[in-house]
Amino acid sequence: MGFLTPALLGGIALVALPIVLHLVMRRQPQKLEFPALQFIRKRQAANRRRFNLRHLLLLALRCALIAGLAMALARPTIKGSGLRGKEGAPLAVALVVDNSVRMQYVFQNRTRQQQAQEMAQWLIDQLPENSQVAVIGRSRSSAGFVVDLGTAESRIHNLATENNPRPLVDAVQEAIRLVADQEERRQEVFLFSDLSIESLNESSLQAIHESLTDAPDVRLYLVDVGVEEVSNRALLPLELNASVLRPSEPLRVEVPVRVTGLAEAPLVELFLNDTDGEPVKRGQQIVEIGADGLGRAVFELGDFPAGTHQGLVKFSGADPLNADNTRYFTIEVRPAAKILLLGERKTDALFLREALSPSLITDPTTVGFECVTERFAKASSIGFDTYDAVCLLDPPPLSEELWQSLAEYAEQGGGVGIFLGHHARLSNFNSNAAQQLLPGTLKRKSRHATYLRPQRLDHPALMGLRNYAEQIPWPLYPVLQYWEFDNFAGDAYIVARFANHQAALVERPVGRGRVLTLATSISDPLELENREPWNLLPTGPEPWPFVALSNQLVSYLAQSENQPFDFYAGETVNLRLAPRHQVSSFVLHPPDSESLRRSLPPGADTIRISTTYQLGNYRVASGGQSRQLDRGFSVNVSPAISQLARVAPEVIAEALPSNQLKLATTLDDIERYVDIGRTGRSLFSWAIMFVAMVWGAEHLLGNRFYRETP
Amino acid sequence: MTAVEQYLKPEVIRQISRLDLRAQFIVKGFLQGLHASPFHGFSVEFSEHRKYAAGDNPDDIDWLVYAKTDKYYIKKFEAETNLTGYLVMDLSASMAYSHEQELTKFEYSICLAAALCYLMIHQNDPVGLVTFGEKIIDCLAPKSKRQQIGNILSMLAKLKPRDKTNIGQSLNQLAAMLKHSSLVMLFSDLLADPDEVIASMRRLRHGGHDVILFHILDQAEVAFPFDGLVELHDPETNDSIEVDADAYRSEYLEEIAKFRSRYEQECRQIGIDYVPLDTSMQFDRALTEYLINRRNWG
Repeated sequence: MGFLTPALLGGIALVALPIVLHLVMRRQPQKLEFPALQFIRKRQAANRRRFNLRHLLLLALRCALIAGLAMALARPTIKGSGLRGKEGAPLAVALVVDNSVRMQYVFQNRTRQQQAQEMAQWLIDQLPENSQVAVIGRSRSSAGFVVDLGTAESRIHNLATENNPRPLVDAVQEAIRLVADQEERRQEVFLFSDLSIESLNESSLQAIHESLTDAPDVRLYLVDVGVEEVSNRALLPLELNASVLRPSEPLRVEVPVRVTGLAEAPLVELFLNDTDGEPVKRGQQIVEIGADGLGRAVFELGDFPAGTHQGLVKFSGADPLNADNTRYFTIEVRPAAKILLLGERKTDALFLREALSPSLITDPTTVGFECVTERFAKASSIGFDTYDAVCLLDPPPLSEELWQSLAEYAEQGGGVGIFLGHHARLSNFNSNAAQQLLPGTLKRKSRHATYLRPQRLDHPALMGLRNYAEQIPWPLYPVLQYWEFDNFAGDAYIVARFANHQAALVERPVGRGRVLTLATSISDPLELENREPWNLLPTGPEPWPFVALSNQLVSYLAQSENQPFDFYAGETVNLRLAPRHQVSSFVLHPPDSESLRRSLPPGADTIRISTTYQLGNYRVASGGQSRQLDRGFSVNVSPAISQLARVAPEVIAEALPSNQLKLATTLDDIERYVDIGRTGRSLFSWAIMFVAMVWGAEHLLGNRFYRETP
Repeated sequence: MTAVEQYLKPEVIRQISRLDLRAQFIVKGFLQGLHASPFHGFSVEFSEHRKYAAGDNPDDIDWLVYAKTDKYYIKKFEAETNLTGYLVMDLSASMAYSHEQELTKFEYSICLAAALCYLMIHQNDPVGLVTFGEKIIDCLAPKSKRQQIGNILSMLAKLKPRDKTNIGQSLNQLAAMLKHSSLVMLFSDLLADPDEVIASMRRLRHGGHDVILFHILDQAEVAFPFDGLVELHDPETNDSIEVDADAYRSEYLEEIAKFRSRYEQECRQIGIDYVPLDTSMQFDRALTEYLINRRNWG
C-alpha cells in the first residue's frame, strides 16, 4: 500500500484533538430537577459503565474520523505486483500468444487467436515507449526482444497459425527466462490462452510453477480468451485396413467422429483425388453419435489401379473449429512381392510357400506374395533380378559363383533369406564367397533342444508380431538343432535369440539389400529321410506363429511391409524408395504452395521431408512424364487440437504462485491489474466511504448523548 | 364535554387563582358528569321529597305521597352518621416539582384536597386538615360548618412545601392523635422508604381509620420523558446523578411500575384505597374514590 501525497498523513496527528477535548472540555450534561432519584440510583453502577463505554466509543469514532480523513486525503493506493524497489522502472514484457490450430475456434465471429491478437495489440498500445517487448508464439523458433513497439505490433499482427505447435509450456518458460534476464526492469509475461487442458495440463503447470519460482520477480498475467461452452465436431485419425494394397484389394476407411455440444448428426463425405489431383466425391454417410459423443463412419472403396492414391474425408458444413473437420489419407497399390523359394527339392518349400501364399485361398487380392519354387540345382541359371527376395531353404554347399551372384543381387537391393539346416557344411559356408552374405562363420551344429524367444520385437523384421508378443507360446515349438555362429561380422545384428541365448536370427545389411540368416531351418522337408526334424515350428500345435513369423521375415526381405503414409504436421517424413530404384532428384508438391525441386545424395534409399507444416496431401514425383517415381503422403492435424476441455481457472490459480499470477478475461481486467501493478489502485473512494460511515456513526451516537431537550 | 366538566382538567384549573373557586368548579364539574341517583341515597335521615326520575331506586318511592298526590316522589335522606375526614398533606420539597405540567404535585394535591373539603362540608361531614414534613406541622380540627371551608382553604393556600419529609413518622404521629374512626385522605408522592410508610399505614388501619392514599406523581416521574445526557438533581436530598436518559428510560419505567404496584398490593392487603395519580390526570378519579368510600360508610 502506498500514498500519492504521503505528507498529508501528518493530519493523523490531529487525532489528539478529540482526545484533549474529551479529557479537558467535556461537554456538560443538561441539568434537571428530578425528585424520584431513588429509582435511578438503584441501577446507577451498570448505567455508568455503559455510559463510559459509549463515551469511549464516541471518542474512538471521532479519532477514526480524523485519521480516516487524513488517510483519504493522502490518496492511498495498493500495489499489485509487490515488486519493491522497481516502481517506475521500465518494463520488460513478453507476450505469449497461443497460436496453435485450436485457437482458430470461432466465437462471436472471431477466432480465439484474433481475440488474443487484439488484446495483445491493445496491451502494446498501453506500454511506455521505453519498454522492451518480446512476442512469442508456439512456433519452434525462439524469439527475442524486438527493437520497438511498432515491430511488436506487426509481429502480433503477422502471427500465423501453427499446425505443429511446440508445447505451450515451452513458450511460457522461454518468455519467463527472457524477461528474467532483464534484472533492472519490471518483468511481466502476458499469456493469451484458451486454458485448454492440452496446453495447461498438470505437468505443464508444474513446469511453469518451477520457472516462476526460479524467477521470483517475474509476474505472469494469464489472459483467458477461451470459451466456456464449446461445440465442435472432430474427425479423429482415420483407420485404414492397409496403407499398401494389392491390385483389386478393397480399401476400408473407418472414420471415428467425436461431437461435443452439437445435437445434429454430422454428414461425413469422402473424396478421392482423380489423376489431376482434383477431389471427386466417392461417398457420404450420416454418422449416428452415441451418448459418449463418439460415432464412426465406414467407407469401402475398390478397383484401385497400381500406384499412389490420395483422398480426404471431411464434414459437410462448418462448425466453430474447422481445422479438425478434414482428414487426408494416402495409399499405395502395389502388386504382390515376387519371392523365389530355393530348396533341395521343390517339396522342401511346401510349408513356407503355404505360409506365404496359401493354396486354399483362391482370391489373389488377399495373397501377399507371389511365390516361385525352384531347386538349388537350377539356381545358377535363374536371374534373381526379377524377384523381390530369395529364400534359401536348408541350403547345401553352393558354388562360389552362386554365392557371388546372390551377393551382387543383395548389393543391388534384393533380399536374401538364409535358413540354415541339415545340408550346410562348414567348409563351404565359411568360404569367403559365402561369408559375404552370412553374418559370421559357422561353428558347429548344436543338438541342445531349445526354442525361439525373441526378447524385444522392435526390429522391423519382427515388429508385426509385437501386438501378439504375450500370446505367442514359443515353448510349444521346440528347436531341436541349430547352427552356432562364431566370429560375427562387424555389421551383423542379432535380431532374435533362442531361449539359451544363442543367436537365432541375424541380419546383415549388404549394399542396399537385406540379408537375414536363421540358425535353424524355417521348415524341414515333408519327408525327412530317417532323420530328426530341426524344429517343430511348422508342425507344432496350431502353428500360427510360424505363419506370422514367415510373413514378417519375407516381407522385410522383400521390403514390402506396410509403411505409414499418414503424418502429423511438423513430423519428418521418411519415404523409403523401392529396392533397386535409383533417384537423384525429385519434385515435392505441397498441398497449397508451389512445387519444390530437391536432390538426393547418391545411393540414398529414403527420401526425407521435414517441411510438413501445411495440412493436406503431398506428392513426391520424379522422372517427368514417365513417372519413374510417384509417391505421396498425407499430413494431418494432431487429434490433440480437438481437446477443447478447459482447465478451471481455480486449478491454475492453485497450481501457480499466487503472488506472481493474475487471471484475466477482459481488457478491463488486464487494465486493472496493469494499473495496480505499475501505479497502484486508488483507494480514495473506499477511504471516503469509510470516513462517511464513521462520520454517520459518530453523528448518531453524539446525538443520542447530547440531544437538545426542548 | 360540558363547559363545567372541563374544570376537572388541571391545566384549566391552573387558570383559576382563588382556591375556593377552584374547589367549587371541580366539584360542580364532577357532580355534573355523574348521574343524579348515585349521588343521593347514602344518607339515611329524611330531608326532602323530590320527583322520581328514571334511574332512581323504586324502593325509595314514597307510596304515601303517591296515594295523596298520584305522583311519584322519592324521599331524600341526610346522613345519619357523620364521617370525619382528615386531609393529610405532604409538605416535602419533592412535592413542589413539576417538569412540564401546569400544576406541581403540591398544587395538584391542594386542588384535590380543596375539592374534597368542599364536597364533604356540602355533605355535612366534618373535615380537618393535617400537614406534615418530618413530623406533623399543623393541624386544623375537623368541623362540618360552612366556615370550615374558608378555614381549610385559606390554610391550604398558605402552605409551602418544605425541605424534607418523614412520612412514616408523621403518619404514626397522626394515628396516635386521632381518637375516633376517621377517613384519612393522604396526599403524597411517597418518595421515601416504602417499608416505613406501609408500616405506618398499617398502624392507621389498625386504629380503625379508613385511608385513601392519593399517590401523586409528576407526569415526568411516571413517563421519564428525558433525552440524551442529563444530570438529575434531587431537591430534597441535593444528590445529583449523571445518566444517559435514552438508555435508562426502560429501566426507570420498570422501577416506577414496580414501586407503584408494590403500594397497590400492600394497600389492597390492608384495606386502603390506593389511587395512583399523576399531575396530567383529571381530578374526577380522586373524587369518585372519595364518594365510593363515602357510600361504604353509609
